[in-house]
Amino acid sequence: MMALPFVVLVIAALVPMLGFRKTSVIVWAVAMAVTLWVLWSHATTPLKIVL
Amino acid sequence: MAAIAKALNILAVLAISGVLLFAFYWQLVRGELPCPLCLVQRLGLIGAGLGFALNVRFGSSESHYGVVIISALVGGAAATRQILLHILPDTGSYGSALYGWHFYTWALVAFVAIAAFAGLLLFIEAQFVEGTHDLRPSVVTQAVGWLFVAVALANAVSTLLECGFGACPDNPTEYELLRK
Repeated sequence: MMALPFVVLVIAALVPMLGFRKTSVIVWAVAMAVTLWVLWSHATTPLKIVL
Repeated sequence: MAAIAKALNILAVLAISGVLLFAFYWQLVRGELPCPLCLVQRLGLIGAGLGFALNVRFGSSESHYGVVIISALVGGAAATRQILLHILPDTGSYGSALYGWHFYTWALVAFVAIAAFAGLLLFIEAQFVEGTHDLRPSVVTQAVGWLFVAVALANAVSTLLECGFGACPDNPTEYELLRK
């Protein structure tokens, strides 16, 4: 699943080269949502410090 | 001023591509595979680079700078978490250091710098005036755009080879899809 946001971001980077601006921003938003999900799923180790 | 903003956006895309290529050099030549949090930081860099690349290709827009700043926040969150994981004595570290700081520390500095840079560029109001951007992409614009696509694609292929189709191990030592 780690590769999924990269693939989505490649699509977001590719579509502007084909002339699609809004599509790129929408695909970027999807990629960031997946990235946050990946970050959340990997943040399983509790921090040893108390802020 | 619009031309200056465009030049600075091109510079930002090239700088972010350079950082990602340097990370690649470290990965391929020094043999240090990026951890999952490192990969999230790369995603943040690519996202920020995309925002600047959109400005270069289509002209400056507030939403493009939004792409930059939100991507920097996401990458910065990952870098901050990694710093906090290793901030206490005897909690180890991940990877080697560069000029005394680990890559995740440099990444946080980079994300703060990127967000600040985007914030400063937003002050150049002339870039948002209609008709100041030539919609026909120049050779430089095309070259910068395709370089960025190539760097993003290389990261996607590398991550796929390293992690396969599942979750990445916390301390990867080999490429999952190249394992015999």
